[in-house]
Parts: sequence; structure tokens; C-alpha cells
Amino acid sequence: MASASTAPPELASKAEEGAAVAPAAEDMGSRADMLYEECAKRPEGTTFFQRDLTGMQIARDLNELLNLVGDLSNRHLLKPLQFEGEPCWKLRPKDIADKLRRLVPDERLLYQHIDNAHTEGVWSKALRAKTNLAQPTVTKYLKSLESKDLIQAVMSVKTPNRKMYLLKHLKPSEDVAGGPWQNEGDFDSALIEVAAKVVANKVEHDTCIRVSAGWNNYTSSDRQAVIAHKKAQTKSMPDIEDALPVQPYHPPTDSGASRLVHRSNPGYPTTITLAKYLNETGLLRGKTVRESDMEQLLEMLVLEGTLENVSASTFRTVIPPINQKFNGFVDAPCGNCPVFDLCSDEGPITARTCAYFAEWLETTSEEP
Amino acid sequence: MSYTQRATPVFAQLCTFLVQDIHGDLPARVLNVLERRGRQRSSELKQSSYLNRIQIGHGLVVLAQQHLVFHSPSTEPTTFYEPDWCQCYDLVRVGKIAAFVEERFGQKASNVISNLLTLGHTSLADLLDAYFPSSQQGDGLTNTSTGVAASGDKDTVTSADELYDIVHTLMEHGWVIQASEAQYLSPEDLYNFAQQQALQEHFGGSFPTGTKDKDKLSQLVMANKRRIRDAWLELPNSSSSSRKRKANAADCDPCARQRLNDGQYASIKNCRHSPEDDLVIRVNPEKTAVAMRTHHLVGLVEQLIGSTTARLYEIILRSLEKNIPRCFEDYSDPAPANMEDQPQWEPNLDHIVNTRDIAQQAKIHGLDICNGLDPHAVARIAKTTSNGKGVLAQPVDHTTLSFHQREELVEGHMQLLVDHPLHFTTWHARGQYRVDFDLMAKHLIQHEIEDTLLAKHGVNGRKLVRALLRKGKLEERSVCNTLMASAATVRKVVNDLALQGYVETQEVPKVDRREAKLSNHLVWYDIQRARERLLHDTYKAQLRILQRINFEQEKAKELLNKANRTDVAGNESKYLKQSELQDLKKCQEVVEKLYLQLQRQDDLVAVLRDYCGPFLTA
Ligand code: SF4
Repeated sequence: MASASTAPPELASKAEEGAAVAPAAEDMGSRADMLYEECAKRPEGTTFFQRDLTGMQIARDLNELLNLVGDLSNRHLLKPLQFEGEPCWKLRPKDIADKLRRLVPDERLLYQHIDNAHTEGVWSKALRAKTNLAQPTVTKYLKSLESKDLIQAVMSVKTPNRKMYLLKHLKPSEDVAGGPWQNEGDFDSALIEVAAKVVANKVEHDTCIRVSAGWNNYTSSDRQAVIAHKKAQTKSMPDIEDALPVQPYHPPTDSGASRLVHRSNPGYPTTITLAKYLNETGLLRGKTVRESDMEQLLEMLVLEGTLENVSASTFRTVIPPINQKFNGFVDAPCGNCPVFDLCSDEGPITARTCAYFAEWLETTSEEP
Repeated sequence: MSYTQRATPVFAQLCTFLVQDIHGDLPARVLNVLERRGRQRSSELKQSSYLNRIQIGHGLVVLAQQHLVFHSPSTEPTTFYEPDWCQCYDLVRVGKIAAFVEERFGQKASNVISNLLTLGHTSLADLLDAYFPSSQQGDGLTNTSTGVAASGDKDTVTSADELYDIVHTLMEHGWVIQASEAQYLSPEDLYNFAQQQALQEHFGGSFPTGTKDKDKLSQLVMANKRRIRDAWLELPNSSSSSRKRKANAADCDPCARQRLNDGQYASIKNCRHSPEDDLVIRVNPEKTAVAMRTHHLVGLVEQLIGSTTARLYEIILRSLEKNIPRCFEDYSDPAPANMEDQPQWEPNLDHIVNTRDIAQQAKIHGLDICNGLDPHAVARIAKTTSNGKGVLAQPVDHTTLSFHQREELVEGHMQLLVDHPLHFTTWHARGQYRVDFDLMAKHLIQHEIEDTLLAKHGVNGRKLVRALLRKGKLEERSVCNTLMASAATVRKVVNDLALQGYVETQEVPKVDRREAKLSNHLVWYDIQRARERLLHDTYKAQLRILQRINFEQEKAKELLNKANRTDVAGNESKYLKQSELQDLKKCQEVVEKLYLQLQRQDDLVAVLRDYCGPFLTA
């Protein structure tokens, strides 16, 4: 992460003024390099204030320090910034500084503006407005910057069809690239699927228990109760459908298979605990989900019918229906019929000529 | 039934089909004319059809006897007829009604209700005559075609007193009600009548002018409608002694019945027998939906939670049924104009159950209430232990549990019902739970719509309407974000669903010209619209099934005719060839399959139409 959150959005070009003072001696160049090396020892992305630089005790006095900094800035090795009105600097890697030195002024101008935009990126139209350059120039230089591996273009998620430019080494912000669920402007369905599965399993583990068939193997002492029990089993639900030959298969009341049952009084997982859990699994290849990302995923899972809300931010698993039946409409041909609206009492498509009924009933229909 | 009464051509056609199926061609043709021409006098009916006066007369008699038409009050000089579509549609449910009654009150009661259904409405005396033909024959109702057989069968009624008892029980539970002329009033006539009454009683016969008075009038009208209707449910004031058929005219107190039957609609006849014999009764059409709701809910619990919980829920709902004459109040007071006057919502105390009672009932039914619960909870209650996989250390025989333990186990099941997003029950007080039918009705409708879309359009279809229901109108991008799906996927489902009328779309241009790229695409979902859409489609599918049944039977007409010949029926294997037998079996199976599907579609219709009134959306 090269972008420090403390960095001000505007570029202060003050230090460049220091460049006006001509480099005095060879010695100074090497001292400047020393300063650079010293700074490079610090963690990447550190912002240096004047007091930090003097603290390194490379420059003898303030004047010299300014000269050194000016020299480095000229060579694009230091990037001048401002934080709450105070000038400060950040290091630029040497290879990038090298490339920057070889840019033409317009190119450099564009680069600066793109640099300013940080991870948010900047739209090419906005660039044109800011730089007052002609569209073809902008396009040309953006291309060349891209080919030099200095900048990258990403599709914005918020405003699709907009190419946003940002520095090559930056990771586009959430606004541009979307949250962890998105990849190149679209939902990363593979990643979502994996995450959804992990989360769903976790919730199921926390809120449900799988009960095996023989969990309570009692032999009843009460003869009458046994009979009543048997009767209850066979009779289960008196259903008109039961009497008829074509009915969805009902497993007996105490089916041999194990069943999922909700735990009584479980600690329900929440958005926060689930986000933490998912991050800890390290499945997301370095991405982290924030609470809001998890909220989005969980809501989707609720809509999908995998989870259900217990309260606004707690969840549990939906026990899958024992035997999925829909309703009489969609289970019959007409409910799924592609020509439902064209079908009428007479004409080419009717219940008499219907091919779907014929297939379903295994009978024949009239030729239309 | 103003809302449910609305008839689209498809619905009317479906109803006519059903009438034809059960009562034959003539009534169906009369109904057809009524459908085409609207409210008619019988003389006009003749002009607008090819039927002659006698035919029309016969048709109308059947229709009226079965309550399939409305007619204007007999106090008026001319009688207008109008189809009663809802009652016509209910013909599809006759089999269900008999089955429901059998489940609840046994075979004999089911037999009585079947007879009542065949007869339309009848006086108790006539019903008695039908069962036990007395010397006075020729009533018209006693002929064998009613299917009443008074044999020594254990499933048929054996004595008059038994019949009275059955009818009394059925009336007590609201399955049978008093027939009244007011039941023939069309919604409009009923409204006029109720309004007239209110005007007479409170405004001296003239229309009020002030807004306040007008509001009061509409309230009074509703109150009157309710009063008229509720009077049908009242039990005749009978003690068991009066049932002993004292042929005593002094027992007959016309005033009492006049009060019951609401003024001019009292059915006063000559008092031949005891007063009850003159009581004209019929099946309560509204009660069927109550039982269907019970059945549907229990089925849902079985599917979504588990079968043991479903059995308990069945016990709960059945115990409430007695207090529930109908699924929802059709004649509720009009909503007050400003919100502050809104009456405070109060839980319906009729819909409350005690866990103690349920635990008791469960024991009687021999239900193993340990099933379907978290084994750890069972172990805790039964004072044993369970291992990590939920296998009990010492098995628990539910028959040996103490009452307190049973109660706790029932609480466990209740918790499952409460916690489910459909809120099958709600906690009311310690040891008491309430079933909030009105709240559930909307969820049930939504559930059916979602199921339909899931089956037709896969998981994305269901996701979309769920998202829209939760969040309201959404822009395409927000839809993508909520569904976590690409724009292409979303567009496809939105289009599919919009085409079928389940969601609506709207394009709002951002600039002053219409360009897809520069517009906001909004999607929204209205449950009421989707509900009507699905209901209408289901009617249509039902119609197609009936048409197909006709077609299938037509194909096998010769064979069926042969099989129905009196000498062949019962001896099929003797008179029919092997191939014929096979064809016959196949045909019967096909028709049965179609009828089953028709019934299942009717279940859907009930959910969509009969459990609550229309939703008003802003
Ligand atoms: S009858 Fe056949 S063609 Fe007509 S709607 Fe039904 S399935 Fe489709």
C-alpha cells in the first residue's frame, strides 16, 4: 500500500522551488543519495516531515537539507506533499523516478494529476478539463504513460463505462473497483461462491445440529403407546393427495436419514463475527471483508434462501425443505408453458392440441 | 365478497365449466347467458338465449337451490338474477369439504355434509325424511339419486337423534349454518338493504348530509352486514329435550326465529314438527377456507420445520377452528380518514392456545414430542445427557415423561414455530401462544409467489422479488449490488419477470432525450399486483385442466359409455377385453391425475384469494 492516508490530496510543489538553487557539488549529489537511502530504510509509504529529515543528520544545516531535498525532488525521487499546511515528502522508487525523468512536460502534468487522484483514480474527461490539453494529446499521453507502466486504467464500478486512471502501483479504491467481491468492475462470482459456502457452513455449524436417525432409541414399555405411535406414523397427515396414485413421495415421519434441526438457544452469528471469521480463514487471497461487505453477502444469502434473519444482524440456516414441492400451478404443464398467453379455447393452441399435456399424461393430443 | 366476487372472463368460464361438470348442461347454459348479459330478469333471459321458458325455469331452480345465483329480494316486484361466481367456484371444493368433515367429525358427519352439499339447502325435516323416509313420500328430496341410503352400515346415521346431534355439532363448529334469503342478495343488493336499514333506524329514512354522519352511515352499513351474516351462524336455541320431535305447535316460537333470522328474512313456515325441523340449513361456504388454511399451514410446517412440529401445529389450529367462522372479516369498518382515529391494534383473543392443553392433546394422540427438537434440549429436559452428535445417553420414552417435561418439550416446538420467519405462532404470555393469521396471510401469499418464480425462473427470480419486497423500488445498479450479480444476469431476470407481469419497470431519462444509456432504470414489485396476476393465471390453468379432462374423456367416450352400462359396471373384467380394460385404467388414471392437479391449484387459489382481503399499497 503506497498511499498513506495522511497524504493530502493536493500536491505541493513548493519543494521544487528549492531546485532553483543549483546543485553545488558532486558531494551534494552523493549526500542526497545518502538521504534517499536513509529514508528508504523506513517502512514503505512513510511520510517524511522536515524534522524527520533533519533527524537523520545527513545535512549539516537547514539550508543544505533544503538543497538536498530540492535535488531529490528534481530527480523525482522525492514526491513533495503537504500535510495540514506543512510540507512533507514521500519516496518514489528509483525505477519510477527514472521513467519520470524521461517524460515530456505534458505527460508529466498528466502524471501529476493522476498521482493526485490517488486510489480514486481520475476520469480522462476530468483530466482534460484540469490540464486544458486537447483531447488527442490527452489520449496520446495517457497511452504512452500506460505503455511505460506508470499508470493503469480501470473500469469504474460506480459509473460503468468510465475509465479511471490511477498510478500503476496503486490498488483502486472500493469506489472504483468495488469491494472484495468485485473484480475488474464485475462481481467475482467464483470468489463469492467460495465465501458464501464458507459463511453458510459456519452459520449452519453454529445454529443447527444434525440429528441421526437413532438418536433416541427407546423401546416403549407401554404397549398401547407403541400402537398409537405406529398409527401416528402411518397416518401422519391425512391428505387428499395421499389417496391418489400420483403424489409426491412422502418419507415416513421418522425417516431413516439424519435431519438438520435448529439448535435451541444457540449463540447466533452476527455480521461482525462472520466477517472476522471469514478474514481469519485467509481464503480471500489477501482481500479483507469489512462489516459492510459481509452485510452485503449475508443479505444476498438471505435473499437466496440459504440463511434467514433471526434479528437484523443475526442469522441462522434455513433448513432445506424435506421434499421440495412447489404449488399446483407450476407443477402442472400450464404453469411452465412457454405459450401460456397464446393458448386459448380454440385455435391452433388449446388444451386439446397441447403437446405438454400429452407428454405429462403420456397420452395423445389432437393434431392442430 | 366484493373483492373475490370480481369475475374476469376466464374465471367466469371456469365457473361455468364447474357448474356444467356437476349440475349438467342446462344450469351451465343459463349461467352462461347471465355472464354475457349481466343482471337479468328471467323473461329477459329467454330473449337472450335459445332456451325456452321451461328450460330457463328449470335451470334457475337448480342454480338457486345450489346458491349459484343471486336474486333480488322477494319483496320487490320483479326478480333479477345474477351469477354468484364464488359459490360456483366453490363447487371444486365439494370433495374437500367432505374430507375435512370426515377428519374432524367422522364418517357419519361427512355423509351428512355430502347430502347437504347435494341438496343445496334443506330443512331439517326434509333431511330427516331423506334419511328415514316417513309415510309422506313425494318430497322430491327422498329419491335415491341423492345417494342417501339408510342401511345398517356403521358409517351411516341410524337414528333421528343421531342426525340431530350431528347437525348440532356441525352447526356448533360453524360448518353448517342457517340458510336465509339474505344469502341470495348480491353484494349490491345486500349493501342497499343494509343501508336502507341503517337509514330507517338512525336517520329517519333520509340520507345524511354532513361528513361525520356519512362516515357514521358507512359504519352502520358494515355493522348491519355483519349482523345479518352473523345471525346465520347462531344455533337454534335447542336443548336436547326439544330435539325429541315433539309435534307440538306451542313449542314453535316464531318470534324467536324472527330475531335470529333478521326481520323479513325469517323463514317461518308452518310448524309441523318441533321448531328445529323447520330450520333450513346449508353448508357454510366460508368455513371451507378455514379448514383449507389449517391444512395448508400444517403442510408448510411439515415441509419447513418438521413433521412432529407439524402435528402439534395441527392440534393447535384444529383447536382454534371452532372459534373461526371465516378467514378474514370482509365487512370491516372503513378505515378512518386520519391516522389518529385508527383503532389500536388488539390481539385476537380467540386465537390463543395454552401449551398445557396442547401437551395434553399430544399425549392423547401418542405423539413422540421428543422428535424434531435439538437433542441437547431434550436431554436437558429429560435429565439425561447427549454426546456431541446428539445421541442420547439414555433413550427417552416419551410416554414416561412427566407432565411438566411434556410441557417443556411442547414449548420447544412452539419456539421453533415462533422463530420461523413466517411466524407460525407468536408468544402471547407465559405458556400461551397466539396464531396471527392476518399477519401470516401476507407471508403465505408472498411465499407462493416466490415458489412460483423459483420454479419458473430459478433462484434469481425469487431473489429479485425478495430484494424488491425488502427494499422497495430499486435502480438497476442497486439491484446488481443486492443480488451480487452482473448487470447482464439482472437484466435478463428483470425482463423475464416484467414480461409476465410480476415486476414493473420504469425508465427515467436523466437528460432531455430518451436514451437507454442516459436513463435510470427502476424496478419495483407490488405484492397485490403479483398476487392478482398469479391468481388469474391459476384460474386459467384450472380451466385448461378441465378442458383437458373433457378431451381425455371424449377420446375414450365409447369405452367409458360401455363401462358405465348398468350390466358392465361392477363386472368390467367379465365384459371388457383385456385391451379395453387397460385403456380404461389408463384413462381413469389420467383423469385422476388431472383432478388432483386441479385440487392442488385450488389450494393455491385459496392462499391467494381466501385468507385475506386486498392489500392496499400507496
Ligand atoms: S394447455 Fe398446453 S399449451 Fe395451453 S397453456 Fe397449458 S400447457 Fe400451454
